[in-house]
Amino acid sequence: MAYSQDTIVSYKKRVLESVEIDLLASYYSQDGDNAAVTGGIGTEELTDLASSIVVSIPLNDDDVLKIDANVSAYTSASSSNVSPFDSGQPADPFVADSGASANDLWLNGVVSYSHSSDDRNNIWGANVSVSQEYDYASFGFGGNYSYLLNDKNTELSIRANVFLDSWKIIYPFELRPFEDLGYTPLQTNKRNSYALGFGFSQILSKKAQGSISLDLVQQEGLLSTPFQRVFFKDRDAIIIGNGFQLADDIERLPSSRFKIAIGGRLNYYINEMFVLRSYLRYYQDNWGITSYTASIEVPIKLGDFFTLYPSYRYYTQTKADYFYKASDALSTDAFYTSDYDLSGFNVGEFGFGVSYTDIFTKVKLLGYGLKSINAKASYYNRSSSLSYFMVSGGIKFVQD
Amino acid sequence: MKKLLILLIALGFLSSCAVVKEYEKVNINDPDMALGDKTIKRFETSAQAYREAASGANGGKTGGGCGCN
Repeated sequence: MAYSQDTIVSYKKRVLESVEIDLLASYYSQDGDNAAVTGGIGTEELTDLASSIVVSIPLNDDDVLKIDANVSAYTSASSSNVSPFDSGQPADPFVADSGASANDLWLNGVVSYSHSSDDRNNIWGANVSVSQEYDYASFGFGGNYSYLLNDKNTELSIRANVFLDSWKIIYPFELRPFEDLGYTPLQTNKRNSYALGFGFSQILSKKAQGSISLDLVQQEGLLSTPFQRVFFKDRDAIIIGNGFQLADDIERLPSSRFKIAIGGRLNYYINEMFVLRSYLRYYQDNWGITSYTASIEVPIKLGDFFTLYPSYRYYTQTKADYFYKASDALSTDAFYTSDYDLSGFNVGEFGFGVSYTDIFTKVKLLGYGLKSINAKASYYNRSSSLSYFMVSGGIKFVQD
Repeated sequence: MKKLLILLIALGFLSSCAVVKEYEKVNINDPDMALGDKTIKRFETSAQAYREAASGANGGKTGGGCGCN
């Protein structure tokens, strides 16, 4: 509340009216035949259970503190084959081993703070993040600023983020001790990422709005994964167990990468029942990858409480200059990988979601009202044999 | 350079639209009209960041912070 000189009292709306809590969870199941850990041939079976708690706290009329905690537990058949001899069974690239690398836990926390000016036309924000898994740790920080103009019809924004990451280097079992066997050691275990982003959004009419965003990212350090195998065309294959080929080297990738991504969104309110949400992205990096993404979602409102969310996403990318199929790379090449995430492929992804919203928050729990329940299932099919199925759900509560 | 020029022209075109007043934003303020993704989509965006080389320009990750791209 503010008092002007002529004693007329004016009110400003709080940026966030009350504490909001989001509880989220997902189950992910993936399969494929091109595991990078086994040099591009082997099972990519992986399951992941993830959950998040996001708490948004209004500190006063203008400031919001957000705490975002995440945990993800996964079981990976390909990671288990970093050391394929733990189970006592013959090594097999298409069968998971029982070693310690078969499972891992990813923990992540992000704290962000935002401040809005009295007229709500200027918004500043800052964030700090940490994450940890067995062989990877990350510390990140960043800031952002948004300026709204044109009666809040236009928004310009800029954001910057830095991630300082480090690997605990683990080599494939048969390449240990790595240096003693004559392999060129990795120069660093650090991976630093510097991201700068620009945004522009515009209300186009009473029923349409769109945005354009540009992200520039520079990464430096260890950009390869130390335990991913590569087989050379000019070396004799050494195969043990049930077709398990021993590595000729680990993947080698340049120590820097520059990425640029330009994305555009256009949303159109068709009528009280349908909304059209569309997205396009162009991406390019200096590893030779170019990609395009297009997605469309059509929320369908069924009365005041329920909304359905059918969606489709198409993605395509060209291969990295350093990608080779198994046993295609030469030992004389400077860089090589058989990680199919860096190969050329197309993706089709279908999604279907449902949402229940109660604007009156009639259902209460421990002083919080239930605002919405969301659920979504999606199926992802990549032309390189990989596919996954994912279900996720979320519940939002608001403080009474 | 050509792409940048197209982007600048698009920005100019978009900013020349008629101003929509606050009381006219009933449809624009519909939650499904938000330009960002719903919170529940974070898991999907994360999976895509692991399985694809491209990232960024979608409100999600741009790189770093994970053993992915």
